[in-house]
Amino acid sequence: MPRDYDISNNEKQFVLEALKQNLRLDGRKLLQMRDISIVVSPEEYGYVEVTMGKTKVGCRVSGEITKPYDERPFEGIFQISTEISPICSPFFESGQTSNSKQSADEVLISRLIEKAIRRSNALDLESLCIIAGSKCWSIRADLQFLNFDGNFIDISCIAVITALLHFRKPDLEIDGDQLIVFDTNQRDPTPLSILHIPICVTFQFYNPNDNEENIKGDLNNELILIDSNLIEERLSLGSMTLTLNKNKELCQMLKSGGLNIDATLIIKCCSVASKLVDELTTKIQKVLKVDEEQRKSGMESELQVVNDR
Amino acid sequence: MSRFELYSPEGMRIDGRRSNELRSFNCNINTHPNASDGSSFIQQGNSNVICLVKGPMDPSYSTIKNGSGAGQSTSIDEPTLNISINYPPFANNDRRKKLTKNDRRLTELSIILTKCFLKTIVLKNYPRTVIDVQVTLLSFDGGLLSACCNAITLALIDAGIALYDYVTAVTVGIYDQVPLLDLCTLEENDLSFITVGVVGDSDKLNLILCEDKLPLDKLERMIGLGIQGCHRLKELMDAKVREVGFDLLNKKQ
Repeated sequence: MPRDYDISNNEKQFVLEALKQNLRLDGRKLLQMRDISIVVSPEEYGYVEVTMGKTKVGCRVSGEITKPYDERPFEGIFQISTEISPICSPFFESGQTSNSKQSADEVLISRLIEKAIRRSNALDLESLCIIAGSKCWSIRADLQFLNFDGNFIDISCIAVITALLHFRKPDLEIDGDQLIVFDTNQRDPTPLSILHIPICVTFQFYNPNDNEENIKGDLNNELILIDSNLIEERLSLGSMTLTLNKNKELCQMLKSGGLNIDATLIIKCCSVASKLVDELTTKIQKVLKVDEEQRKSGMESELQVVNDR
Repeated sequence: MSRFELYSPEGMRIDGRRSNELRSFNCNINTHPNASDGSSFIQQGNSNVICLVKGPMDPSYSTIKNGSGAGQSTSIDEPTLNISINYPPFANNDRRKKLTKNDRRLTELSIILTKCFLKTIVLKNYPRTVIDVQVTLLSFDGGLLSACCNAITLALIDAGIALYDYVTAVTVGIYDQVPLLDLCTLEENDLSFITVGVVGDSDKLNLILCEDKLPLDKLERMIGLGIQGCHRLKELMDAKVREVGFDLLNKKQ
Protein backbone atom coordinates (compact mmCIF):
# COMPACT_ATOMS: atom_id res chain seq x y z
CA MET A 1 0.00 0.00 0.00
CA PRO A 2 1.59 3.28 -0.96
CA ARG A 3 1.90 5.90 1.71
CA ASP A 4 0.30 9.14 0.84
CA TYR A 5 2.15 12.36 1.37
CA ASP A 6 0.69 13.90 4.51
CA ILE A 7 1.07 17.64 4.57
CA SER A 8 0.38 19.33 7.85
CA ASN A 9 -2.09 22.21 7.90
CA ASN A 10 0.73 24.51 8.95
CA GLU A 11 2.83 23.67 5.92
CA LYS A 12 -0.16 23.96 3.63
CA GLN A 13 -1.11 27.41 4.85
CA PHE A 14 2.49 28.59 4.82
CA VAL A 15 3.10 27.55 1.24
CA LEU A 16 -0.18 29.00 -0.03
CA GLU A 17 0.26 32.30 1.81
CA ALA A 18 3.78 32.60 0.46
CA LEU A 19 2.48 31.97 -3.07
CA LYS A 20 -0.06 34.74 -2.68
CA GLN A 21 2.88 37.03 -2.04
CA ASN A 22 4.75 35.62 -5.06
CA LEU A 23 7.28 33.75 -2.94
CA ARG A 24 8.27 30.13 -3.22
CA LEU A 25 9.95 27.96 -0.62
CA ASP A 26 13.24 27.73 -2.49
CA GLY A 27 13.34 31.39 -3.43
CA ARG A 28 12.49 30.99 -7.12
CA LYS A 29 10.12 33.24 -8.97
CA LEU A 30 6.73 31.78 -9.86
CA LEU A 31 7.65 31.25 -13.51
CA GLN A 32 11.21 30.11 -12.98
CA MET A 33 12.43 26.56 -13.50
CA ARG A 34 14.94 24.82 -11.30
CA ASP A 35 18.49 24.38 -12.55
CA ILE A 36 18.70 21.48 -14.92
CA SER A 37 21.74 19.30 -15.25
CA ILE A 38 21.85 16.98 -18.23
CA VAL A 39 24.58 14.35 -18.10
CA VAL A 40 25.18 12.15 -21.12
CA SER A 41 27.20 9.02 -20.67
CA PRO A 42 30.72 9.44 -22.04
CA GLU A 43 31.32 5.71 -22.61
CA GLU A 44 28.21 4.51 -24.38
CA TYR A 45 25.66 6.03 -26.68
CA GLY A 46 22.09 6.51 -25.55
CA TYR A 47 22.18 6.92 -21.77
CA VAL A 48 21.24 10.21 -20.19
CA GLU A 49 20.63 11.32 -16.62
CA VAL A 50 18.69 14.51 -16.04
CA THR A 51 18.44 16.22 -12.68
CA MET A 52 16.09 19.09 -11.86
CA GLY A 53 16.54 20.15 -8.26
CA LYS A 54 16.16 16.85 -6.43
CA THR A 55 14.14 15.08 -9.09
CA LYS A 56 16.31 12.67 -11.03
CA VAL A 57 15.52 10.55 -14.03
CA GLY A 58 17.65 8.28 -16.19
CA CYS A 59 16.81 7.24 -19.72
CA ARG A 60 18.39 4.54 -21.82
CA VAL A 61 17.72 4.09 -25.51
CA SER A 62 18.48 0.74 -27.10
CA GLY A 63 17.81 -0.71 -30.50
CA GLU A 64 17.51 -4.11 -32.08
CA ILE A 65 16.55 -5.44 -35.47
CA THR A 66 13.15 -7.11 -35.76
CA LYS A 67 10.30 -7.64 -38.14
CA PRO A 68 8.02 -4.62 -38.58
CA TYR A 69 4.30 -4.71 -37.86
CA ASP A 70 2.24 -6.30 -40.63
CA GLU A 71 0.04 -3.26 -41.17
CA ARG A 72 3.04 -0.91 -41.29
CA PRO A 73 5.78 -2.55 -43.35
CA PHE A 74 7.63 0.70 -44.09
CA GLU A 75 7.99 1.89 -40.53
CA GLY A 76 10.16 0.91 -37.61
CA ILE A 77 8.99 0.32 -34.06
CA PHE A 78 9.41 2.81 -31.25
CA GLN A 79 8.35 2.16 -27.67
CA ILE A 80 8.69 4.19 -24.52
CA SER A 81 8.48 2.44 -21.19
CA THR A 82 7.67 4.48 -18.11
CA GLU A 83 7.30 2.31 -15.06
CA ILE A 84 7.52 4.09 -11.78
CA SER A 85 8.87 1.96 -8.98
CA PRO A 86 9.12 2.72 -5.28
CA ILE A 87 12.83 3.41 -5.72
CA CYS A 88 12.06 7.04 -6.37
CA SER A 89 9.60 7.57 -3.59
CA PRO A 90 7.44 5.55 -1.19
CA PHE A 91 4.33 7.12 -2.68
CA PHE A 92 4.47 4.86 -5.72
CA GLU A 93 3.63 1.20 -5.81
CA SER A 94 5.64 -1.36 -7.67
CA GLY A 95 3.85 -2.62 -10.79
CA GLN A 96 3.58 -6.24 -9.67
CA THR A 97 2.05 -5.78 -6.26
CA SER A 98 -0.64 -3.26 -7.18
CA ASN A 99 -3.83 -4.39 -8.88
CA SER A 100 -3.90 -4.42 -12.66
CA LYS A 101 -4.86 -0.77 -12.88
CA GLN A 102 -1.83 1.47 -12.83
CA SER A 103 -2.24 4.50 -10.68
CA ALA A 104 -3.62 7.62 -12.30
CA ASP A 105 -0.30 9.44 -12.12
CA GLU A 106 1.55 6.72 -13.96
CA VAL A 107 -1.02 6.43 -16.72
CA LEU A 108 -1.05 10.18 -17.25
CA ILE A 109 2.74 10.46 -17.28
CA SER A 110 3.19 7.64 -19.75
CA ARG A 111 0.40 8.87 -22.03
CA LEU A 112 1.79 12.42 -21.96
CA ILE A 113 5.31 11.31 -22.85
CA GLU A 114 3.93 9.06 -25.55
CA LYS A 115 1.86 11.83 -27.07
CA ALA A 116 4.70 14.32 -26.82
CA ILE A 117 7.30 12.13 -28.49
CA ARG A 118 5.66 9.28 -30.34
CA ARG A 119 2.50 10.87 -31.63
CA SER A 120 4.20 14.09 -32.61
CA ASN A 121 6.64 12.06 -34.71
CA ALA A 122 9.81 13.35 -33.09
CA LEU A 123 11.52 10.17 -34.22
CA ASP A 124 11.05 9.49 -37.91
CA LEU A 125 9.80 5.92 -38.02
CA GLU A 126 10.26 5.49 -41.75
CA SER A 127 13.99 6.04 -41.37
CA LEU A 128 14.09 2.96 -39.14
CA CYS A 129 13.02 0.68 -41.93
CA ILE A 130 15.79 -1.56 -43.32
CA ILE A 131 14.09 -4.03 -45.64
CA ALA A 132 10.42 -3.23 -46.11
CA GLY A 133 8.18 -5.86 -44.63
CA SER A 134 10.90 -8.00 -43.10
CA LYS A 135 13.53 -6.05 -41.17
CA CYS A 136 13.40 -2.82 -39.25
CA TRP A 137 14.90 -1.19 -36.21
CA SER A 138 12.96 -1.44 -32.99
CA ILE A 139 14.03 1.45 -30.78
CA ARG A 140 13.12 1.33 -27.13
CA ALA A 141 13.44 4.13 -24.60
CA ASP A 142 13.37 3.03 -20.96
CA LEU A 143 12.83 5.66 -18.34
CA GLN A 144 14.13 5.02 -14.84
CA PHE A 145 12.70 7.31 -12.22
CA LEU A 146 15.43 7.67 -9.65
CA ASN A 147 14.18 10.34 -7.29
CA PHE A 148 10.89 12.13 -7.00
CA ASP A 149 10.64 15.77 -5.98
CA GLY A 150 7.79 16.86 -8.21
CA ASN A 151 7.49 17.43 -11.93
CA PHE A 152 8.22 14.07 -13.47
CA ILE A 153 6.66 14.94 -16.79
CA ASP A 154 8.99 17.75 -17.85
CA ILE A 155 12.10 15.97 -16.80
CA SER A 156 11.14 12.67 -18.45
CA CYS A 157 10.50 14.38 -21.75
CA ILE A 158 13.89 16.10 -21.70
CA ALA A 159 15.57 12.81 -20.77
CA VAL A 160 13.93 10.81 -23.55
CA ILE A 161 14.55 13.31 -26.30
CA THR A 162 18.18 13.88 -25.25
CA ALA A 163 18.79 10.15 -25.12
CA LEU A 164 17.26 9.74 -28.57
CA LEU A 165 19.47 12.51 -29.91
CA HIS A 166 22.50 10.95 -28.27
CA PHE A 167 21.89 7.37 -29.36
CA ARG A 168 23.77 5.90 -32.30
CA LYS A 169 22.65 2.77 -34.09
CA PRO A 170 25.22 0.44 -35.67
CA ASP A 171 25.90 0.96 -39.35
CA LEU A 172 24.40 -1.54 -41.80
CA GLU A 173 24.92 -2.76 -45.30
CA ILE A 174 22.53 -4.74 -47.44
CA ASP A 175 24.26 -7.25 -49.69
CA GLY A 176 21.64 -8.89 -51.89
CA ASP A 177 19.31 -10.32 -49.28
CA GLN A 178 21.92 -10.48 -46.57
CA LEU A 179 22.08 -7.88 -43.89
CA ILE A 180 25.52 -7.04 -42.50
CA VAL A 181 25.62 -5.20 -39.18
CA PHE A 182 28.95 -3.53 -38.45
CA ASP A 183 30.38 -3.33 -34.99
CA THR A 184 31.15 0.07 -33.50
CA ASN A 185 34.85 -0.61 -33.91
CA GLN A 186 34.52 -1.28 -37.62
CA ARG A 187 32.30 1.60 -38.64
CA ASP A 188 31.02 4.67 -36.85
CA PRO A 189 27.44 4.19 -35.72
CA THR A 190 24.80 6.49 -37.20
CA PRO A 191 22.49 8.84 -35.29
CA LEU A 192 18.71 8.53 -35.35
CA SER A 193 16.65 10.82 -37.52
CA ILE A 194 14.99 13.23 -35.07
CA LEU A 195 12.63 15.63 -36.82
CA HIS A 196 12.02 18.08 -34.00
CA ILE A 197 12.73 18.44 -30.29
CA PRO A 198 9.51 18.48 -28.23
CA ILE A 199 9.81 19.68 -24.65
CA CYS A 200 7.09 19.55 -22.00
CA VAL A 201 6.33 22.37 -19.58
CA THR A 202 3.93 21.72 -16.71
CA PHE A 203 2.01 24.51 -15.01
CA GLN A 204 0.32 24.18 -11.64
CA PHE A 205 -2.64 26.36 -10.63
CA TYR A 206 -3.56 27.71 -7.22
CA ASN A 207 -6.59 29.63 -6.10
CA PRO A 208 -6.04 32.60 -3.81
CA ASN A 209 -9.81 33.13 -3.45
CA ASP A 210 -12.52 30.62 -2.70
CA ASN A 211 -14.07 28.10 -5.02
CA GLU A 212 -17.16 30.06 -5.91
CA GLU A 213 -15.12 33.08 -6.97
CA ASN A 214 -13.10 30.90 -9.31
CA ILE A 215 -16.13 29.36 -11.01
CA LYS A 216 -18.54 32.26 -11.13
CA GLY A 217 -16.40 35.30 -10.58
CA ASP A 218 -14.40 37.54 -12.85
CA LEU A 219 -11.27 38.29 -10.88
CA ASN A 220 -9.05 35.93 -12.87
CA ASN A 221 -6.16 36.11 -10.46
CA GLU A 222 -5.32 32.45 -10.20
CA LEU A 223 -1.67 31.75 -9.47
CA ILE A 224 0.41 29.91 -12.01
CA LEU A 225 3.58 28.04 -11.17
CA ILE A 226 6.21 26.34 -13.30
CA ASP A 227 8.27 23.34 -12.24
CA SER A 228 6.70 22.56 -8.91
CA ASN A 229 8.46 20.52 -6.30
CA LEU A 230 6.79 17.80 -4.26
CA ILE A 231 4.85 19.89 -1.79
CA GLU A 232 3.75 22.45 -4.38
CA GLU A 233 2.52 19.64 -6.63
CA ARG A 234 0.50 18.03 -3.85
CA LEU A 235 -1.13 21.32 -2.97
CA SER A 236 -1.95 22.35 -6.49
CA LEU A 237 -5.59 22.53 -7.48
CA GLY A 238 -5.06 21.88 -11.17
CA SER A 239 -2.33 21.41 -13.70
CA MET A 240 -1.70 21.91 -17.40
CA THR A 241 1.03 20.36 -19.50
CA LEU A 242 2.14 21.91 -22.76
CA THR A 243 4.58 20.37 -25.19
CA LEU A 244 6.22 22.76 -27.61
CA ASN A 245 9.21 22.74 -29.88
CA LYS A 246 11.52 25.42 -31.15
CA ASN A 247 9.51 25.85 -34.36
CA LYS A 248 6.66 27.38 -32.33
CA GLU A 249 4.51 24.29 -32.79
CA LEU A 250 2.27 22.98 -30.06
CA CYS A 251 2.76 19.21 -30.01
CA GLN A 252 0.25 18.46 -27.34
CA MET A 253 -1.66 20.20 -24.61
CA LEU A 254 -3.54 18.78 -21.67
CA LYS A 255 -5.41 20.60 -18.98
CA SER A 256 -7.26 17.88 -17.19
CA GLY A 257 -9.91 19.52 -15.07
CA GLY A 258 -8.87 21.16 -11.87
CA LEU A 259 -9.11 24.89 -11.40
CA ASN A 260 -10.93 26.79 -14.15
CA ILE A 261 -8.60 29.13 -15.93
CA ASP A 262 -9.48 32.03 -18.19
CA ALA A 263 -8.52 31.58 -21.83
CA THR A 264 -6.25 34.66 -21.80
CA LEU A 265 -4.19 33.20 -18.97
CA ILE A 266 -3.79 30.00 -20.95
CA ILE A 267 -2.48 31.91 -23.96
CA LYS A 268 -0.06 33.68 -21.63
CA CYS A 269 1.15 30.31 -20.37
CA CYS A 270 1.80 29.25 -23.94
CA SER A 271 4.04 32.22 -24.61
CA VAL A 272 5.94 31.72 -21.34
CA ALA A 273 6.40 28.05 -22.19
CA SER A 274 7.60 28.93 -25.67
CA LYS A 275 10.47 31.00 -24.30
CA LEU A 276 11.45 28.31 -21.84
CA VAL A 277 11.42 25.68 -24.54
CA ASP A 278 13.78 27.73 -26.70
CA GLU A 279 16.25 28.00 -23.81
CA LEU A 280 16.03 24.31 -22.98
CA THR A 281 16.51 23.25 -26.60
CA THR A 282 19.67 25.36 -26.83
CA LYS A 283 20.90 23.82 -23.61
CA ILE A 284 20.30 20.26 -24.82
CA GLN A 285 22.07 20.91 -28.10
CA LYS A 286 25.02 22.42 -26.28
CA VAL A 287 25.38 19.42 -24.00
CA LEU A 288 25.31 17.04 -26.94
CA LYS A 289 27.83 19.10 -28.85
CA VAL A 290 30.27 19.16 -25.94
CA ASP A 291 29.93 15.42 -25.58
CA GLU A 292 30.61 14.84 -29.25
CA GLU A 293 33.71 17.00 -29.18
CA GLN A 294 35.01 15.13 -26.16
CA ARG A 295 34.61 11.83 -27.94
CA LYS A 296 36.38 13.05 -31.00
CA SER A 297 39.40 14.39 -29.13
CA GLY A 298 42.61 12.48 -28.93
CA MET A 299 43.44 9.44 -31.03
CA GLU A 300 40.13 9.31 -32.81
CA SER A 301 40.59 12.56 -34.66
CA GLU A 302 44.02 11.34 -35.82
CA LEU A 303 42.61 8.13 -37.19
CA GLN A 304 39.58 9.68 -38.86
CA VAL A 305 39.22 8.86 -42.52
CA VAL A 306 37.56 12.14 -43.37
CA ASN A 307 40.09 14.83 -44.20
CA ASP A 308 39.87 18.33 -42.91
CA ARG A 309 39.05 20.67 -45.73
CA MET B 1 -13.49 9.34 -57.46
CA SER B 2 -12.67 12.90 -56.52
CA ARG B 3 -11.14 13.51 -53.13
CA PHE B 4 -13.59 15.46 -51.05
CA GLU B 5 -12.43 18.80 -49.78
CA LEU B 6 -12.52 19.30 -46.08
CA TYR B 7 -13.18 22.98 -46.60
CA SER B 8 -14.09 24.24 -50.06
CA PRO B 9 -13.08 27.73 -51.22
CA GLU B 10 -16.75 28.73 -50.93
CA GLY B 11 -16.71 27.93 -47.23
CA MET B 12 -18.51 24.54 -47.23
CA ARG B 13 -17.34 21.53 -45.28
CA ILE B 14 -17.95 17.94 -46.36
CA ASP B 15 -21.27 17.77 -44.57
CA GLY B 16 -22.41 21.15 -45.84
CA ARG B 17 -21.75 23.16 -42.71
CA ARG B 18 -19.89 26.45 -42.44
CA SER B 19 -16.71 26.73 -40.44
CA ASN B 20 -18.44 27.97 -37.30
CA GLU B 21 -21.53 25.77 -37.26
CA LEU B 22 -22.16 23.02 -34.75
CA ARG B 23 -23.52 19.66 -35.80
CA SER B 24 -27.16 18.97 -35.06
CA PHE B 25 -27.39 18.59 -31.31
CA ASN B 26 -30.07 16.55 -29.56
CA CYS B 27 -30.17 15.68 -25.95
CA ASN B 28 -32.53 14.03 -23.55
CA ILE B 29 -32.37 13.44 -19.84
CA ASN B 30 -34.03 10.95 -17.55
CA THR B 31 -33.92 8.36 -20.32
CA HIS B 32 -33.28 5.44 -17.92
CA PRO B 33 -35.29 6.24 -14.81
CA ASN B 34 -35.24 2.67 -13.50
CA ALA B 35 -31.67 1.72 -14.28
CA SER B 36 -29.97 4.63 -12.59
CA ASP B 37 -30.35 7.74 -10.50
CA GLY B 38 -29.57 10.00 -13.44
CA SER B 39 -29.27 9.36 -17.13
CA SER B 40 -28.81 11.26 -20.34
CA PHE B 41 -28.60 10.64 -24.04
CA ILE B 42 -26.71 12.96 -26.36
CA GLN B 43 -26.60 13.09 -30.11
CA GLN B 44 -23.93 15.33 -31.55
CA GLY B 45 -24.20 14.84 -35.29
CA ASN B 46 -23.81 11.09 -35.71
CA SER B 47 -22.16 10.51 -32.34
CA ASN B 48 -24.56 8.95 -29.85
CA VAL B 49 -23.63 8.69 -26.20
CA ILE B 50 -25.55 7.35 -23.22
CA CYS B 51 -24.55 8.20 -19.69
CA LEU B 52 -25.81 6.61 -16.49
CA VAL B 53 -25.11 8.00 -13.05
CA LYS B 54 -25.58 6.09 -9.83
CA GLY B 55 -25.19 8.09 -6.70
CA PRO B 56 -24.55 9.49 -4.29
CA MET B 57 -24.29 6.03 -2.70
CA ASP B 58 -22.76 4.57 0.42
CA PRO B 59 -19.23 3.42 -0.30
CA SER B 60 -18.75 -0.33 -0.51
CA TYR B 61 -16.41 -2.01 1.96
CA SER B 62 -13.68 -2.49 -0.66
CA THR B 63 -13.63 1.24 -1.43
CA ILE B 64 -13.18 2.06 2.23
CA LYS B 65 -10.50 -0.58 2.67
CA ASN B 66 -8.41 0.28 -0.36
CA GLY B 67 -8.73 4.00 -0.04
CA SER B 68 -9.59 6.16 -2.97
CA GLY B 69 -8.78 5.23 -6.53
CA ALA B 70 -7.32 7.07 -9.44
CA GLY B 71 -6.91 10.80 -9.11
CA GLN B 72 -9.10 11.18 -6.06
CA SER B 73 -8.45 13.21 -2.98
CA THR B 74 -8.12 11.16 0.14
CA SER B 75 -10.16 13.51 2.27
CA ILE B 76 -13.20 11.82 3.72
CA ASP B 77 -15.19 15.01 3.32
CA GLU B 78 -15.42 14.58 -0.42
CA PRO B 79 -17.17 12.05 -2.63
CA THR B 80 -15.36 9.44 -4.67
CA LEU B 81 -16.12 9.86 -8.34
CA ASN B 82 -15.70 6.84 -10.62
CA ILE B 83 -16.05 7.44 -14.32
CA SER B 84 -15.79 4.56 -16.75
CA ILE B 85 -16.05 4.90 -20.50
CA ASN B 86 -17.28 1.97 -22.52
CA TYR B 87 -16.36 2.02 -26.19
CA PRO B 88 -17.88 -1.09 -27.79
CA PRO B 89 -16.54 -2.43 -31.10
CA PHE B 90 -19.74 -1.62 -33.00
CA ALA B 91 -19.45 2.10 -32.22
CA ASN B 92 -16.98 2.75 -35.01
CA ASN B 93 -17.59 2.86 -38.72
CA ASP B 94 -15.74 -0.42 -39.19
CA ARG B 95 -15.99 -2.91 -36.35
CA ARG B 96 -12.77 -2.71 -34.41
CA LYS B 97 -11.21 -5.50 -32.39
CA LYS B 98 -10.79 -4.78 -28.70
CA LEU B 99 -7.21 -3.57 -28.57
CA THR B 100 -5.44 -3.15 -25.26
CA LYS B 101 -3.77 -0.02 -26.61
CA ASN B 102 -7.07 1.85 -26.66
CA ASP B 103 -7.71 0.83 -23.07
CA ARG B 104 -4.93 3.19 -22.01
CA ARG B 105 -6.46 5.99 -24.01
CA LEU B 106 -9.88 5.40 -22.43
CA THR B 107 -8.30 5.21 -18.96
CA GLU B 108 -6.61 8.52 -19.61
CA LEU B 109 -9.88 10.09 -20.77
CA SER B 110 -11.73 8.85 -17.72
CA ILE B 111 -9.03 10.25 -15.43
CA ILE B 112 -9.28 13.59 -17.22
CA LEU B 113 -13.06 13.66 -16.89
CA THR B 114 -12.87 12.65 -13.21
CA LYS B 115 -10.55 15.55 -12.45
CA CYS B 116 -12.79 17.86 -14.45
CA PHE B 117 -15.97 16.98 -12.60
CA LEU B 118 -14.35 16.87 -9.20
CA LYS B 119 -13.98 20.61 -9.60
CA THR B 120 -17.55 21.17 -10.80
CA ILE B 121 -19.53 19.11 -8.31
CA VAL B 122 -20.29 20.84 -5.03
CA LEU B 123 -18.15 18.43 -3.07
CA LYS B 124 -19.03 19.54 0.43
CA ASN B 125 -22.60 18.32 -0.08
CA TYR B 126 -21.56 14.70 -0.50
CA PRO B 127 -19.00 13.65 2.07
CA ARG B 128 -18.12 9.95 2.29
CA THR B 129 -20.17 8.91 -0.72
CA VAL B 130 -19.50 7.30 -4.05
CA ILE B 131 -20.77 8.58 -7.37
CA ASP B 132 -20.56 6.07 -10.22
CA VAL B 133 -20.70 7.33 -13.78
CA GLN B 134 -20.89 5.00 -16.77
CA VAL B 135 -20.60 6.38 -20.27
CA THR B 136 -21.38 4.18 -23.25
CA LEU B 137 -20.70 5.20 -26.81
CA LEU B 138 -23.34 3.83 -29.11
CA SER B 139 -21.98 5.36 -32.25
CA PHE B 140 -18.86 7.40 -32.69
CA ASP B 141 -18.46 10.09 -35.30
CA GLY B 142 -15.95 12.50 -33.84
CA GLY B 143 -15.67 14.34 -30.55
CA LEU B 144 -15.06 11.53 -28.04
CA LEU B 145 -14.11 13.64 -25.06
CA SER B 146 -16.62 16.39 -25.81
CA ALA B 147 -19.60 14.05 -26.19
CA CYS B 148 -18.69 12.22 -22.97
CA CYS B 149 -18.27 15.48 -21.08
CA ASN B 150 -21.64 16.84 -22.22
CA ALA B 151 -23.39 13.57 -21.47
CA ILE B 152 -21.91 13.39 -17.97
CA THR B 153 -22.95 16.99 -17.20
CA LEU B 154 -26.55 16.27 -18.12
CA ALA B 155 -26.68 12.95 -16.31
CA LEU B 156 -25.30 14.49 -13.12
CA ILE B 157 -27.93 17.21 -13.32
CA ASP B 158 -30.61 14.57 -13.80
CA ALA B 159 -29.35 12.62 -10.80
CA GLY B 160 -29.84 15.70 -8.70
CA ILE B 161 -26.16 16.08 -7.88
CA ALA B 162 -25.36 19.71 -7.21
CA LEU B 163 -23.05 21.24 -9.80
CA TYR B 164 -21.65 24.75 -9.77
CA ASP B 165 -22.36 25.13 -13.46
CA TYR B 166 -22.62 23.26 -16.75
CA VAL B 167 -19.41 21.95 -18.29
CA THR B 168 -19.79 21.84 -22.04
CA ALA B 169 -17.14 20.68 -24.47
CA VAL B 170 -16.61 20.86 -28.19
CA THR B 171 -13.83 20.12 -30.67
CA VAL B 172 -12.20 22.76 -32.86
CA GLY B 173 -9.93 21.88 -35.75
CA ILE B 174 -7.71 24.00 -37.95
CA TYR B 175 -7.64 23.77 -41.72
CA ASP B 176 -4.91 26.01 -43.07
CA GLN B 177 -5.95 29.40 -41.66
CA VAL B 178 -9.57 28.57 -40.85
CA PRO B 179 -10.71 27.15 -37.52
CA LEU B 180 -13.53 24.59 -37.93
CA LEU B 181 -16.01 23.94 -35.16
CA ASP B 182 -17.26 20.52 -34.06
CA LEU B 183 -15.43 18.00 -36.20
CA CYS B 184 -16.69 14.68 -37.48
CA THR B 185 -14.44 11.60 -37.74
CA LEU B 186 -13.30 12.27 -41.30
CA GLU B 187 -12.18 15.76 -40.34
CA GLU B 188 -10.59 14.56 -37.10
CA ASN B 189 -8.45 12.04 -38.94
CA ASP B 190 -7.02 14.64 -41.28
CA LEU B 191 -6.80 17.81 -39.21
CA SER B 192 -5.14 18.87 -35.98
CA PHE B 193 -7.79 19.65 -33.43
CA ILE B 194 -8.28 20.62 -29.84
CA THR B 195 -11.09 19.81 -27.43
CA VAL B 196 -12.19 22.67 -25.17
CA GLY B 197 -14.35 22.31 -22.07
CA VAL B 198 -15.92 25.50 -20.79
CA VAL B 199 -17.67 26.21 -17.50
CA GLY B 200 -21.11 27.75 -17.91
CA ASP B 201 -21.31 31.11 -19.63
CA SER B 202 -17.87 32.29 -18.57
CA ASP B 203 -14.72 32.31 -20.65
CA LYS B 204 -12.98 30.03 -18.22
CA LEU B 205 -11.70 26.72 -19.45
CA ASN B 206 -11.91 23.64 -17.31
CA LEU B 207 -10.60 21.27 -19.90
CA ILE B 208 -8.31 21.57 -22.85
CA LEU B 209 -6.86 18.70 -24.82
CA CYS B 210 -4.69 18.81 -27.91
CA GLU B 211 -3.07 15.68 -29.28
CA ASP B 212 -1.75 16.78 -32.63
CA LYS B 213 0.80 19.29 -33.78
CA LEU B 214 -0.59 22.77 -34.08
CA PRO B 215 1.06 26.10 -34.90
CA LEU B 216 1.00 28.16 -31.71
CA ASP B 217 -0.33 31.37 -33.24
CA LYS B 218 -3.57 29.69 -34.35
CA LEU B 219 -4.38 28.55 -30.82
CA GLU B 220 -6.03 31.74 -29.66
CA ARG B 221 -8.59 31.83 -32.48
CA MET B 222 -9.39 28.18 -32.03
CA ILE B 223 -10.00 28.58 -28.31
CA GLY B 224 -12.18 31.63 -28.99
CA LEU B 225 -14.31 29.71 -31.48
CA GLY B 226 -14.51 26.75 -29.10
CA ILE B 227 -15.77 28.96 -26.28
CA GLN B 228 -18.53 30.35 -28.49
CA GLY B 229 -19.53 26.83 -29.53
CA CYS B 230 -19.63 25.72 -25.90
CA HIS B 231 -21.84 28.62 -24.90
CA ARG B 232 -24.29 27.68 -27.63
CA LEU B 233 -24.28 24.05 -26.48
CA LYS B 234 -24.92 25.17 -22.93
CA GLU B 235 -28.00 27.12 -24.10
CA LEU B 236 -29.35 24.04 -25.86
CA MET B 237 -28.68 21.78 -22.88
CA ASP B 238 -30.16 24.25 -20.43
CA ALA B 239 -33.33 24.58 -22.53
CA LYS B 240 -33.79 20.82 -22.47
CA VAL B 241 -33.21 20.55 -18.73
CA ARG B 242 -35.75 23.28 -18.02
CA GLU B 243 -38.27 21.64 -20.36
CA VAL B 244 -37.99 18.29 -18.60
CA GLY B 245 -38.11 20.08 -15.26
CA PHE B 246 -41.36 21.87 -16.11
CA ASP B 247 -42.89 18.60 -17.31
CA LEU B 248 -42.05 16.93 -14.02
CA LEU B 249 -43.51 19.86 -12.12
CA ASN B 250 -46.75 19.80 -14.14
CA LYS B 251 -47.15 16.05 -13.72
CA LYS B 252 -46.90 16.38 -9.97
CA GLN B 253 -49.72 18.92 -9.80
